[in-house]
Amino acid sequence: MTVLDDIEASIPALRRYARALVRDCNRADDLVQDCLERAVAKRHLWRGDGPVQAWLFRILINRYRDLQRQNPVPGHLVAIEDLTFEPAQCGGQDASLALREVQDAMTRLPGDQREALLIVVLEGKTFDQAASLLDIPKGTLMSRLARARATLRLLTGRNSGPTLTKGPSQGAKP
Amino acid sequence: MTDQNALTDADLLDYASELLPADMMSSMATRLASDPVAQATLAEWQRQDAAIEALYHPVAREPVPDRLSDVIRRAEAEDAARARGRPQARLWLVAATIAALTVGTGAGWFARDLTTPAAASQTLAANAMRAYDTYVVEVAHPVEVAASDAEHLNAWMSKRLGHETRPPDFNAAGFTLMGGRIVPSDQGAAALYMYDNAEGQRITLYIAPQGASSTTSFQFALEGSTQSFYWMDRDLSYAVVGTVPREVLRRIALAAYDQLL
Repeated sequence: MTVLDDIEASIPALRRYARALVRDCNRADDLVQDCLERAVAKRHLWRGDGPVQAWLFRILINRYRDLQRQNPVPGHLVAIEDLTFEPAQCGGQDASLALREVQDAMTRLPGDQREALLIVVLEGKTFDQAASLLDIPKGTLMSRLARARATLRLLTGRNSGPTLTKGPSQGAKP
Repeated sequence: MTDQNALTDADLLDYASELLPADMMSSMATRLASDPVAQATLAEWQRQDAAIEALYHPVAREPVPDRLSDVIRRAEAEDAARARGRPQARLWLVAATIAALTVGTGAGWFARDLTTPAAASQTLAANAMRAYDTYVVEVAHPVEVAASDAEHLNAWMSKRLGHETRPPDFNAAGFTLMGGRIVPSDQGAAALYMYDNAEGQRITLYIAPQGASSTTSFQFALEGSTQSFYWMDRDLSYAVVGTVPREVLRRIALAAYDQLL
């Protein structure tokens, strides 16, 4: 396996993660292409310290963060406390969440929470791996995950009753 | 919610990740059994996970768009070209250079082109020799910008070529810089530096913005009495042209090569 083979083998996972991060299909592939171009240009400097896929994810994440800085989408920056919540299906017990609803909620998650939730849930990384990929301490990762889950729950209208759990998310500033 | 035993989100995240040691998992399961709120949270998280999977997992099974595969294909082509240009470019280049420049005075020798398509380098030599033939005969205007205006010359040439360019020094061979001009090449503007010696003999150094995938060996071309040593590196092509004895031209080409590295 050459580095290029490893890079190519990672494309499906990169596309999946990018699509979930960015939602728009073309913009997601733009992000992946940008990541690939950067990786390919630097492939001779790759010293093999760790899996190629992790290196690519780091590039993608950094690029995504650059884009967020250049072009922040206001909806992504709304603090949980400020979100208006319509208890649409209060206490709904559907076995599955409406996918459309979750998709909309994902785009409204703050970028840092979305990165964290997706790298763990979608890409199946362990907390240690995820913290390393996102270049944040594990404690920060855990609180972002908890906040992401709480926000998602709020946004999908399933936060029936009073605050249900204790933890770093509750009342913590994002 | 003052129950000391209530599970926090952090506890639940650990539990849900199934990464805890077995004994902690089982004690957690016991606490969970008596904590309906935590159970509901955990169930909700599982639904979130299922939704995220359903939404995005299929993306990884889509065919990869060509524009993404093409990034890899281009890089592979580059690597293949580079591999052909080896073994160990620099050492071989030096060896080839020395062979070409020291052994090469005999009749019928040639320096073999290791990497570039013959056509491109022959065009390079032909263009360089045509430029030489055109301008070396000029008495009144052999150059556009004189060597005395070195700063302007360097800035102008660098800008037109798109690469930082400075004329090498051939004083050791008795040649001094007269100046330079821009001439056309297949790849856009090329630089033509002209030098002369005390006897009024002129040589030119032609630099065109056409690179090879890796540095090539020296090559030699002869057309009538006009001779050229030429080579390419990653970004630019070079040709030293003159009608001076080949021995002299060879020394100049080596000096140019060393200084332009």
